[in-house]
Amino acid sequence: MAQFWFYVFTLVFFLFDYFILAMGLNIQFGETGILNFAYIGFVALGAYVTGAVSLPSSVGTAQQYIFGFNMPFPFSLLAGGVAAMLMAVVVAFITLRRLRTDYLAMVLISLSLVLYDVINNYVRLFNGADGLYNVPQPMAGLFHLTSNAFVIFFACVTGVVALIMWFVMSRVTRSPLGRTFRAIRDDPDVASALGKGVFRYQLTSMLIGSFYAGIGGGLIIQFGGSFNPSAWLPGETFVVFAVIIVGGVGNNVGLLVGALLVETLLIHLPAFLPDIPGHPGLIEYIDAMVIGVALMVMLWVRPQGLVPERVRRFQVPTDELIHRDGHSVEAPVIDTMSATPTPSAMAAHEGEDA
Amino acid sequence: MSQFWLAFGFGLVTASVLAIAAVGLSLQFGITNYINFAYGDFMALGAYLAYFFNAEALHLNVWVSMIIGAVLMGAAAVLLNRFLLSPFARRFSKSFYVLIVTFGLSLIMLNLVYSIWGPNNRTYNMKLEIYKKIGPFLLNKDQIIVMIISVVLMLAIHLMLKTTRLGKSMRAMSDNTTLAMTSGIDTKMITTITWFLSGSLAGIAGTVLGISESQITPASGELFLFVIFAAVIVGGVGSIYGAMAGAVLIGLSTEISAAYINPAYKLDVAFVILILTLLFRPNGVFARPGKA
Repeated sequence: MAQFWFYVFTLVFFLFDYFILAMGLNIQFGETGILNFAYIGFVALGAYVTGAVSLPSSVGTAQQYIFGFNMPFPFSLLAGGVAAMLMAVVVAFITLRRLRTDYLAMVLISLSLVLYDVINNYVRLFNGADGLYNVPQPMAGLFHLTSNAFVIFFACVTGVVALIMWFVMSRVTRSPLGRTFRAIRDDPDVASALGKGVFRYQLTSMLIGSFYAGIGGGLIIQFGGSFNPSAWLPGETFVVFAVIIVGGVGNNVGLLVGALLVETLLIHLPAFLPDIPGHPGLIEYIDAMVIGVALMVMLWVRPQGLVPERVRRFQVPTDELIHRDGHSVEAPVIDTMSATPTPSAMAAHEGEDA
Repeated sequence: MSQFWLAFGFGLVTASVLAIAAVGLSLQFGITNYINFAYGDFMALGAYLAYFFNAEALHLNVWVSMIIGAVLMGAAAVLLNRFLLSPFARRFSKSFYVLIVTFGLSLIMLNLVYSIWGPNNRTYNMKLEIYKKIGPFLLNKDQIIVMIISVVLMLAIHLMLKTTRLGKSMRAMSDNTTLAMTSGIDTKMITTITWFLSGSLAGIAGTVLGISESQITPASGELFLFVIFAAVIVGGVGSIYGAMAGAVLIGLSTEISAAYINPAYKLDVAFVILILTLLFRPNGVFARPGKA
């Protein structure tokens, strides 16, 4: 029975964790239109930094890594988030300024492959191909938890973190900042013509999204205690894209649905299936192909996702306009950006172009 | 100094492989105007198809197997374009969708190769050639054949683009698809032929990559992808001759750097060059106006 709950709460953990990861990619891709094919690189950096700062100094151990500060739990996680943000600053300044969507995607996917290569080969950074292991379980000693109880406990902690981050994200997407992001996604030139500094907003979006990636990665290493290059092959980015597209681009509730369907049902449930005799890993490969096919079918049949983005309409308070007739020009101009019905449900309307 | 010339020789081999791959990617990009992120996996599948005919069935000569693999990959590319990519590209005006579809296609193809041939390294069934000293270089017969194949292909593509009706139509489409269509060019046909060429070149590139590295793995094409991207971007995206020049530049610099730094990082040098290009000449070193 304990085994059963162990499985269930492992799934619950991954549900919440991929919800966080999906929110981070959604603000970059779904809200701002940055096709970040290097997303898993930011997740991995968050995981490695979280692990390396919460481990004790590497001197005298079998592992090699930088940092080794013995940092307690919430701070180690924040360090991971901040590290991912720092990488985002560098990446944004090099790539975001002048590149078209597809060149940007090319450079980013190259970045993730190079990062993979360097972390694999430069052992002194994060222990190379073996990755980090024996990362202390946060707060397990404090509450004297067994390893089964820790799984349940940490799944709940992740749930709380996800809830906080969801609250923050829903504030961001509803704010004027979020509206500007969507305007840039729908047409960067129009947004720029209306006086919005496109690069500055894209940078902001990259930073917020990378922080979410770093936190999501940090939670993975804190939960499992280890992290190595096999956990972040470039294909993993596609899984997060699948979560967003299945759930619904630009909708935080949809992301939770997507995380449940893709991450929990399609990825972690098959991992518990026994191997087909004589074909180790075959289930995993077939599973990956199923995800790819499912996403394409979904994109064709229902491009707006299971829970589509709400078309946000802005009611101009009429009496207010009458009272400030002299200065009323300012208010409606800003409103048109948020109230234009066409751009908002990007996916829903694309179909009409055919 | 001799070390430099040795590395230079290997650089020419890498440049030859890279040129085939980069031109195949550029041809298709020029016509359809979106990047095929599954290109590395086209290469891997081509390499494994050649392996199938070379070592598992029929036991053909490796070069013959390479041609069969290339033709099959060309056909696969045509079918994928007809039934998957072009419907998505026509339906959605934003390029996001088709890019994500090619990204997903890469995941599917990679795992297809994994599930058929497994994760282990494979080697082609061919005689081990001894390295001979040719001028300042140290090369074996297979590497010289790879270089010859590459030069012949580049010349053929050059002649096709400049002299044949097909090549002129392709260049016209790459400049302006609508104008080409109104001038009576069968754009659908040209697109199909381009995909066939792109798929075949990917198949050849995958196989010669496997021969020059003397092993193939399912992920080898995908890990090589960023080197191809570097060659294409350094040369100026969408330009065929830029892709050739970029391939020579990247191929030589990765191999020559391997003589002086840890060879494990030699491919990452390509990324450094890519970043420098983006910082100082974002349209590519050999850019032509209006395409970026």
